[in-house]
Amino acid sequence: MSPPSPAPKDQKSEDQKSEQKKSLWLQVARYSQLAFVLPAALVVGWLFGALLDKWFHTTWLYMAGIILGIVAGFVELIRTVSRDMQ
Amino acid sequence: MPEELWFTEILNRLFAGPVTALLRSLSIEPKYPRAPIPNALAMELLVFMFLVVAFLLVRSRLSADRPGALQHVFEGVEGFIQHQSHEIIGHHSEGYTPFLAALGLFILSCNLIGVIPGFESPTAVPMVPLGCALCAFVYYHTQGFKHAGVSYLKHFAGPMLFLAPLMIPIEIISHLARVLSLTIRLFANMFAGDMVTLVFFSLVPVGVPILFLGLHVGVSLLQTYIFVLLTTVYLAGAVAEEH
Repeated sequence: MSPPSPAPKDQKSEDQKSEQKKSLWLQVARYSQLAFVLPAALVVGWLFGALLDKWFHTTWLYMAGIILGIVAGFVELIRTVSRDMQ
Repeated sequence: MPEELWFTEILNRLFAGPVTALLRSLSIEPKYPRAPIPNALAMELLVFMFLVVAFLLVRSRLSADRPGALQHVFEGVEGFIQHQSHEIIGHHSEGYTPFLAALGLFILSCNLIGVIPGFESPTAVPMVPLGCALCAFVYYHTQGFKHAGVSYLKHFAGPMLFLAPLMIPIEIISHLARVLSLTIRLFANMFAGDMVTLVFFSLVPVGVPILFLGLHVGVSLLQTYIFVLLTTVYLAGAVAEEH
C-alpha cells in the first residue's frame, strides 16, 4: 500500500502562501528604503548644488539642487508604488 | 591616540611604519602616524581573513557524497541567495550570485563580530557601509553596461527624449541617493545597536545587556538581508530586458 499523496490543491495554496511571504519581505525592503531615499535624494541634490555654486561662484544653484533632489525622491517613490500596483 | 582594540594594536605595531610611508607617498598625512590603522580597518581585515579561510576550508573539503556541516551551511546561503535573485532578476540571475553571496557574508560577519567581546562591528563606522554601498553601486552599473551596452545610458534619459535634460540630473541624484540611503541605514542600525547595548551595560551590567545583544544579532541579520535584497532589486533594474 502506497501512502496517500497530498492533495495538489493544498500544495498549490502553500506555494502561494510562501510566494506572498517572500513578496511581503521584498515590499518591506523596498518601502523601508523609501524612508531613506526621500531625505537622501534631498541631501545629494543639495551637495551637488553647493558644489556647482563653489565652481561657478554663484549663490542660487544649491536651491535648484535641493528642488531637483526632492523631485528625484518623489520620482523614486512614485516608481516604487506604481511598480507594486501593476 | 584613539583607543585601540588588541588586534588593531598588533597590526599597528607590525605595519605602522610601512602604512604611514604609503599614505605619505600618496600625499595623505595620517592623524596618528604611530597608529595609522583604525579599528574599523583592522576588523575588516580580520573578517576578510576569516572569510578567505572559511572559503578555502569549504573548497578543500568539498564532497558530493558526504558533505560536511560547513559545506551544508555555505550551500544553504548560496541556495537562498540564488533562489532570491532568480525570483527578482529572472532566468539569467545565476552569474550574480557570487557577488551577492560574498557581499552578504561580508556584511553579516562585519555586523556579528561586534557581539564577541574584544571586537567591534566595523559597520558601525560610516566608511565601511559606504564602501559596501559603492561596491554595489559600481557592480550594478557595470552589469547594466555589460548587459545592454551603451544603450544602458538610455535608462537615464527617461521615456521621452524632450524630457532627457530634466530626467538625467534626476536619475543621477536618485542613483546616488541609493548609495547614501544604503550607507545610512546599515551604519545607523549598527551604531544604534552598539550604543543601546553600551548604555544598558552601564546601567545594569548583569543580565539585561544580553537581551540587547540578542537584538543586535537580529538587527544584524535583518540589515544584511535588506542590503543584499536591495542590491538585487537595483541589479534587476539595471539588467532588465526592457528599459
